[in-house]
Formats: sequence, structure tokens, C-alpha cells
Amino acid sequence: MVEFEPKILAFCCNWCSYRGADLAGISRIKYPPNVRIIRVMCSGRVEPEFVVKALSSGADGVLVLGCHIGDCHYIYGNHRTAKRMAILQRLLGYLGIEPSRLRLEWVSAAEGSRFSKIVTEFTSEIKRLGPNPLKNITLQNPTILRDEKR
Amino acid sequence: MEYKNILTTCPYCGAGCGFYLQVIDGELVGVLPCKSHPVSQGKLCIKGWNAHEFVGSPDRLTKPLIKRDTGFTVASWDEALSTVAKKFKECEESHGPDSFAVLSSAKCTNEENYLMMKFTRAVLGTNNIDHCARLCHASTVVGLVQSFGSGAMTNSIRELEDADCILIIGSNTAEQHPLIARYILRAKEKGAKLIVVDPRAITLVQFADYHLRQRPGTDVAVLNGFMSVILNDGLEDKDFIKERTEGIEELKKTVEKYTPEHVEEITHIPKDKLIDAARTYAKAEHASIIYSMGITQHTTGVDNVISTANLAMLTGNVGKPSTGVNPLRGQNNVQGACDMGALPNVYSGYQSVTDEKTRAKFENAWKVKLPEKPGATVVEMMNEAMKGNIKAMYIMGENPMISDPDIGHVREALKSLKFLVVQDIFLTETAQLADVVFPAVSYAEKEGTFTSTERLVQMVRKAIKPLGESKADWQIICDLAQAMGSKEFEYGSPAEVMNEVTSLTPSYGGITYERLQRGGLQWPCPSKEHPGTPYLHKEKFARADGKGKFLGIEFKEPAELPDEEYPFILTTGRTMFHFHTGTMTRRTSLLNKEVPTGYVEIAPADAKRLAIIKGEFVLIQTRRGQIKIKALITERVSEGIIFIPFHFAECAANVLTNPALDPVAKIPEYKVCAAKIEKVQGTSSY
Amino acid sequence: MIGNIRDLARKWLEDKEVDAIFALREQNGYLAPYLFTNVDKLGSMEISTQYRLSYTCRPSKENILSLMQRKEPSTRIGIVARGCEERALIELAKRSQIDLGKTKIMGIACTQEEAIECKCERPYPDNLVLGQKVEGVSQDENVDALLNKSITERLAFWRYQFSKCIKCYGCRNACPMCFCKDCKMEQGVFTETGWLPPEIPMFLFIRFSHISERCIWCGECEKACPVDIPLLTLFKLLRRDIKDLFDYEAGMDMTQEAPLLTTLDEMPMKEELASGI
Ligand code: SF4
Ligand code: SF4
Ligand code: SF4
Ligand code: FES
Repeated sequence: MVEFEPKILAFCCNWCSYRGADLAGISRIKYPPNVRIIRVMCSGRVEPEFVVKALSSGADGVLVLGCHIGDCHYIYGNHRTAKRMAILQRLLGYLGIEPSRLRLEWVSAAEGSRFSKIVTEFTSEIKRLGPNPLKNITLQNPTILRDEKR
Repeated sequence: MEYKNILTTCPYCGAGCGFYLQVIDGELVGVLPCKSHPVSQGKLCIKGWNAHEFVGSPDRLTKPLIKRDTGFTVASWDEALSTVAKKFKECEESHGPDSFAVLSSAKCTNEENYLMMKFTRAVLGTNNIDHCARLCHASTVVGLVQSFGSGAMTNSIRELEDADCILIIGSNTAEQHPLIARYILRAKEKGAKLIVVDPRAITLVQFADYHLRQRPGTDVAVLNGFMSVILNDGLEDKDFIKERTEGIEELKKTVEKYTPEHVEEITHIPKDKLIDAARTYAKAEHASIIYSMGITQHTTGVDNVISTANLAMLTGNVGKPSTGVNPLRGQNNVQGACDMGALPNVYSGYQSVTDEKTRAKFENAWKVKLPEKPGATVVEMMNEAMKGNIKAMYIMGENPMISDPDIGHVREALKSLKFLVVQDIFLTETAQLADVVFPAVSYAEKEGTFTSTERLVQMVRKAIKPLGESKADWQIICDLAQAMGSKEFEYGSPAEVMNEVTSLTPSYGGITYERLQRGGLQWPCPSKEHPGTPYLHKEKFARADGKGKFLGIEFKEPAELPDEEYPFILTTGRTMFHFHTGTMTRRTSLLNKEVPTGYVEIAPADAKRLAIIKGEFVLIQTRRGQIKIKALITERVSEGIIFIPFHFAECAANVLTNPALDPVAKIPEYKVCAAKIEKVQGTSSY
Repeated sequence: MIGNIRDLARKWLEDKEVDAIFALREQNGYLAPYLFTNVDKLGSMEISTQYRLSYTCRPSKENILSLMQRKEPSTRIGIVARGCEERALIELAKRSQIDLGKTKIMGIACTQEEAIECKCERPYPDNLVLGQKVEGVSQDENVDALLNKSITERLAFWRYQFSKCIKCYGCRNACPMCFCKDCKMEQGVFTETGWLPPEIPMFLFIRFSHISERCIWCGECEKACPVDIPLLTLFKLLRRDIKDLFDYEAGMDMTQEAPLLTTLDEMPMKEELASGI
């Protein structure tokens, strides 16, 4: 049996985390290739809906990465993120989606190795959890009008 | 500031939900569901929740219009009424009363339908009156009358909740009657078995124990198959059959030929599934059949309806709570429009125009001689207009230019009329062809009653003043009758009209506005003390001898089958988010946002073969015409079948449909015709 | 009780303490909200748990009180409010939807039976004017049942429940806290429009997420649902979490700002509780 290779989506804020990821790349720090990065201006831009959309469209795990508290370029953007994601994790749990499929971390522009460490840890955690059961839940329903290629 | 809530009845489907219209200083601000309503219980579907929006649409007609050389011009009521009265008189003098035809409306109140039928018969002197029931449930009225003696839903909506088995055939209940689906789901959660017989994987299929996916148009074979299994297993209700019915031998002779193997050949339903489903239905203590246009809109519509009645009687599932044969009527007041006699062959309460005693009763009441010969039905009217035999038409609140089959033909027919009067709230596709347009009012601006699909007569109350110079339909009819010299149309209010209805209509005999103010009443309600009737045929059937009648029905193929040139079966219907010809729902922002335009559902395998992708425009052609429409690839339809909702003028499914009629009910075959799909190059919308 | 309420309403109107009283009226056996301006009509005033006076007009998406206040800003409105209605008004005022300065709350307590029927934890308002406070009900078997389910069972449960949804938007429409003009539930990017059932779980998730910290647990959403989806279960759980995380409860204290509208400095989060369950 082939090993389960999860799909992981990382939302990285433009000013810190994305640069941290960049640094990891430039410095040739290895991290699992499972992660796809979406750059957002601030982690505060990540609406809970984005996370759920990612999960229901096929991601097995979602990382939300922003500047450390106090460093957000929009001052309080990441304060919101912290609160929102905490509530979102609870909600996911009640809905039957493992809360650990979502992780929020702070990564600065200088923390290339921290980025790599988080991605590596998270990937193995998602591997342990297995495929996201929410994936294509609607697709499996024959009565739903849906284009097959979606 | 004045703020109040006016209790009224939903103007959309036949479920008959109740809600309040919220009014601040004469302005409609919203809808509030009525929590004590017996059916809706404080819940509504998306259409009901948004039912106030179209009322204030800027497109509303507010003044009478007369078509002159330069197009429509605004006219005064006096001028519009006298023009119509004069033209109608001329027409009568030169061509006789049968040169008129009238379309009444399932959207208007009972009182208005009664007045319209009185106007047609007493003033115009013809029986040429019909309405869109012809296009949805004419087969029900004809079929159930033959089997049971009464052509209405036998049981009540709430009773569904306590059924042990629900068989849904040809009804997309969750989308078309969402508040009725509520009770189906509740039954299901209490452990009822759900059988869905439908070529499409409709929403409720998710919860079905059995989904029998028949080839469109083979419903008689399916139902006969059910009965052959039941008889074979000895699961029929022998006592019920002996005591309450007649004709069982005839039925047995017919259905025994429909063995599961034979049915599988005709319908493509695997025989084991059919057998299991039939047993499930037969073994249930309380089994309910729900059907709708999926079985009525066929050239075999009456046959289909009679077959459901056969099945219910065979298992003794009539005359008890939570059982019966339950046709779900599409329009809010299509039941009422039929009850009021907006039909070519009956007066109110289904009293035949050919019966001399009845006619004498109405002649007496209306002080006029009445025509004896039954009149023309909707599709016949259009044919007669084409031939030049019908010269003038009066259409109230209907839009045959979208709702009737083969629209191209309808357009020709309406254009060949000498004179067309349309009374509506919007300048519909049909009104655009009119010579005179009367601006009517919506349900929010008038008083009256609607009769829901479960025979529940309920009040409609006036929440706001009519917009501009528009008038209630009942007033317009009275004004026109008076302009034509009749003295029999002097009513002060709809309540007075209802008093006349009750005096002439036994089944409505006990219904008064006073009683209705405190809640609806289910007919038959023959006297002032009668509490109304939640389910029919309790002790005896409504037929003359009190027995239910089995009729052996043979399966017949639909009028048009796919062939090499037109290889697909096209079937039509509706979506959750729109209603009928869309005149109201397409003026409601949320509904438009949900479904902005039409689409054709194509099965993934067919799409692959034809290389059609989602959102691409395709050309659908039939022998009647062609439309360009967006493709939607979905497993809701099976291979070889395509589905188009008919609400949308820009890609009107009824350009394509076959006007072939059921021989008795004269209902057209909307549900099956042969079609082909062609790619339109370079038009992908993505 | 209703006699006392009518008397007090008469007094408020006669003493010109308010210009109008917003309450329920009975007509032909039906109850509906009504704005009483004439003391002669007070005889038809009724109380009932059937309707909440804090509702938002649909589909114009404006709270009924804010609509009235916008139409006639100078009118002072007295409102007969139960606990949940008062909480809704406080939360609405906090979010600039209504002006509490122009209203006067006639708080009434619910009876024990009413509290049990609504499974209400706080069946009385702060401005209690009439009636006796009774104990709230903290037990909710739906909540307990959900918590006893494994994660897989929960998903299966909600998958079934959500697949019943007929996209009537009734839950949103009935919610006093859903007043956005531009509602995300309607937007095709999140939930593809025109399909039934609407995308699982996105469609209903949107509301759970948006209302989590505003919900005043009136239960109107659940009562409006034609297909009996136990929506309140999730809102109750979220409310509990928000109380744990931020020591915040919606609709209680006009001066306390909502956690998602404040920074970590203004309203800190108990970090140790922050990561999952
Ligand atoms: S219980 Fe429902 S309706 Fe009431 S505030 Fe909470 S989410 Fe809104
Ligand atoms: S669901 Fe969200 S966007 Fe929609 S009205 Fe409620 S809070 Fe606003
Ligand atoms: S009230 Fe129920 S059916 Fe309607 S949208 Fe909300 S969850 Fe869906
Ligand atoms: S800019 Fe990085 S979290 Fe706000």
C-alpha cells in the first residue's frame, strides 16, 4: 500500500511567515513537499470559511501562519486570528473534524528553520490522522447537482 | 407610527403556509412566519420568506394599458373598461358566445375564480373557461373522480408524519412543496419507510429506502408491477376490497400480466428492487402515496392517477388517517380554482354543466340562461384560436406564453385572435401580446380565500393599499360585467361573493369568513356546524354507489419516444428557487441570486460522449423548436435523459415540449419528448 | 400577570414615559407583534413565548426596532421583553443596531414551564419589572448526546442533519443577531448557489462561525428550521467555550465588548485553553 501523502494548505502572511517560508527555501532547509502556500496580506485575512473551504475541497490539514504577537504589520491583525482560530478549532471538533487538522503558529521572517519544523511536525501529525473525512463529502452524495470535474 | 402584522396565506405553492406581512405605515417591510399555523408551524421555505419582495417591484402595472399603433399607451379605467365591453359585445354579435375563451387563474382567490366563471358563463354566455390546472392536475381531477368520486388530496399534510410508508411518485417534494417534505422527513425519523419512484435522483432520494429509477413515462407499468407483486404474495386487503370496492376481477386480469420481469423490461427497474418496494408498501399499516406532476403530465396522465388509486385501494390504504392518495397541487390556489368551477365542464363544487337540475339551479341564482355544451380546454382553446373559431380571449393572471407546451404555437394562436385582454400584475410575455391590459393587484393588496392542496380554505388578508390605480381582480371582473350591462355583479366585498359560493356549492356550504378568521377549514364542510374533513372516504367513497372502483389500466408508451434523430428523452420540471413562469420569483433578489437562469441537466456519461463541459451553452432541439441553454453535468439524471426547468423565458423549456394530450383530461405531455443536444461552438461561459 | 403588564403599559403611555409599546397582540386567536400607541387597544395585548420581539425583518435585513427607530428617531418605544429578548436588545445596541437610550424595557420573567420548554439558562431579564425569577435550565440532552459521540459519529450525525437542509435561510432570517446586509451565506464563492442540499458543511458553518460570540441562545433559529436540524446544540456549545476562553457572554453587559472585536490586550484569551479539545 502506498503511504498516505496528505495535502496541506498553509496560509502565510505576507510580512513575516511568507518570508520565513522563503528563507527556508533559500537556505535549503528541507521540509515535506506536501504543503502548498497561499500568501495573504495578514493572518487576520484568513476567514474561518477559508479553512473550511480548504478542508471540504480536499486539504487534509490547514496551517495558518502569521507574525508573532506584537509584530503584526497591521498591529492587531493576528490578535483576531488567534481568537478566531481558537473558536474555529472548537467548532470543527463539534462538527466531527479533528481540531488538530488546523494549526495556528507564529513564524517571523527570520525563522526559516522554525517554518520547516512546523511543516514537518504538522505533516506527520496529519499522516497519523489519515485522510480528511470531510473531503468531498458533498461529492459522494449522488443527489447533489455537481460537476464531476470539481 | 403604525406597525402591524397581517396574517395571510403564502402565494406560492399548494402547501398553504401561513405568515404575517409586516407593515409599517402602509409599507411592506417583511415576512414573519406564523407559529400557530397548522402546516407551516413558524417555518417557511425560501420563496415564502421572500414573498413580499415582488409586491413592490417597480415593474408592477399601475395603470390600464391600451395597445395603439405606437404600442401600449396608458388609459383611464373608464376607457379601458368601455373599450373591452364594446369589443366583447361586437364579437358576440358577429360570432356568437363560443367565440370567447377565458383563462382564469390558480393564483387568484376563490372569490375571483368564482366571479370569473360566473362572468364567462352568465355574461359571455360560453363554457370556454379553463386555467392552468389543465396543465398540472387535470388528470387528477378526472382520474380520482373515476376511482374515488372526488378529485382531491384524500388526506391531510400533517398526517404524513404518522405514516409507516410513504410512496412518492413523480413529486420532487423537497423542492416543490418544501413544507410538505418536512412531514415526510419527520415520518422518516420516526421510522417510516420511504419509496421514491422517479427518473431523477431528486433531493429526497438521499433519505429513501428504495429509489426506483424508471424510464420516463412508464409509471403505469411500475404501479401495475407493484400490484402484481402484492396479489401474487396475497398481501392485498381482502376485507377492504370486498366491502368498499368493486371491479377487483378486472384489475386482477390486467395487472397479472405485469410480472416483475416484464416490468423490468419496460421500466428498467431491477425486478428485485420492485418486489422489495412493493412488499414494503403493502405491509405497512398506514401507507401514503404522494404524487404530483411527474405522473399527471403525460398522455397517460389519467391512467397513472387511476393506477395510484388502484394501488391504495388494493392495500386498504384509503379512508384512514396517514394513508391515501395525495396529489400535491402546484399553485397556491389551483385546488380552489378547480373547486370554483374555472373549468369548461363544471360549476363550483364540480357540479356538471350538462346536468339539467344543476344548470337550472345556477340559472335561477344568476337570473340568466346558461350554455349547455361543455367548453374548450386550454390547449383546445389555442387550437381553436389558430383555426379562427375563437376570436377573443380574456386571460386573468396566467402566462401561457411560458407555461403552455409548444410556445411557438401559443404565440401564433394568441396573435391570430381579434382581441386579447390580459389582467395581471406584471407585463408578462402574454400581456405583451394583449390589446388591453388591466392592472391587477397582488395577494398582499386584497382580501379573499385560497384553498390549499389539502382542501384547506384559508383567508388572504389585505395588508397594504393597491399600488397606483391597480385594482383587485374581483373588482375588475365586476366592473367589466357592469360595463357590459349585467346587474348580477354588485358585490360590496369578497365576503359577499363567498356567501353566494356557499349557497350554491354543497362542499363549501359551511364556510363563512367569520369562521375562517379563526383558522382554515377543510372541505367538504357542508354546514355551519361541520368542523371540516381532514381525510376523505372514511365510511364510503364519494362515488354514486359509495364504492371505490378498480379500473384495469394497460401500459401505453408516451406519445413521442427517442429515435435516431432525437436520441434523448427530455423531461421538464421546476427548481426549488423559482415558481412557475418566474413572474414573481425572478423579481425577488435572493431567488435570482440562487438560480439566475435556466440550465439543462445532462448525465456525466452523456456529457463525456458529447464533450460538453459544465457551464457550456448547448443547443437543445425537438420537433417543435430549439433553445440555447447552459449545461449542467449531474448524476441527478441518468444516461439518455435530460431535464430542463421551465421557468425561464430566455431558455423556455416549453418551446420544446410536446402538446400531445391525454385523451380524457387533455393535459399535455410535458414530461416526455424526444430531443437532441448539439454543441454551440465557442460559447463556454467560463 | 398579563393584567399587570397591561396596567403598566397604560401607565407608561399615559404618563408619556414612552410614545408606544411594542408587544404581542391577539386577533382572532392569532398572536403577532404590534406597536401599541392607543391605550384603548391595550386589552388585546398578550404575552407568549411564541414570538420574540427582537427579530430582524426579512428579507430587508434590518432589525424591527432599528427600522422603527430609523423611521421615527424621536419616538420612545417601550418593549415588553423576556430574558432572551433583553439579551438580544443589549447585543444589538452593542453592535450599533438600535439605540437603547430611546427604549424602555419592561422586563418580564418566564415561568418555570416556559423555561423548561425553551431549555433556557437564564429565563429572566436584568430589568425585571414584572414576575418572579425562576431557576434556569442548564441541562440539554442534545448537547450531552453530541459530546458523547466520537469524532466520526459527530461528522456522520451532522452530515445527515445538514443534508436535510432545504436552504430556506429561515435560521438566518429568524436570528436577531443576523443582520448583515451582505450575507455570506448567499455568496456563491462560499456555497455554490442553486443546489440542494447546500454545500456541507459550509452553508450552515458560516452562521455557526459568525454568530458564535453573538448568540443569545433564544433558539429562534432552531424553531424556524422546517427540517428540524438541532442548530441550537452547536450554539450552546460555542457559547460555553467563549465563556471559558474569554469570560464573555453575549447580551449580558452593555459595557463589555465582544471578544472578536477586541484585541488580546483588551480582552485576553486563556491561552491554555486555546488549542483544541
Ligand atoms: S439561538 Fe439561534 S436565533 Fe437565537 S441568537 Fe442564537 S443563533 Fe440567533
Ligand atoms: S450568516 Fe453571517 S453574514 Fe449572514 S447575516 Fe448572519 S452574520 Fe451576517
Ligand atoms: S432553517 Fe433549516 S432548512 Fe432552512 S436554511 Fe436553516 S438549516 Fe437549512
Ligand atoms: S501581518 Fe503578519 S499576522 Fe498580520
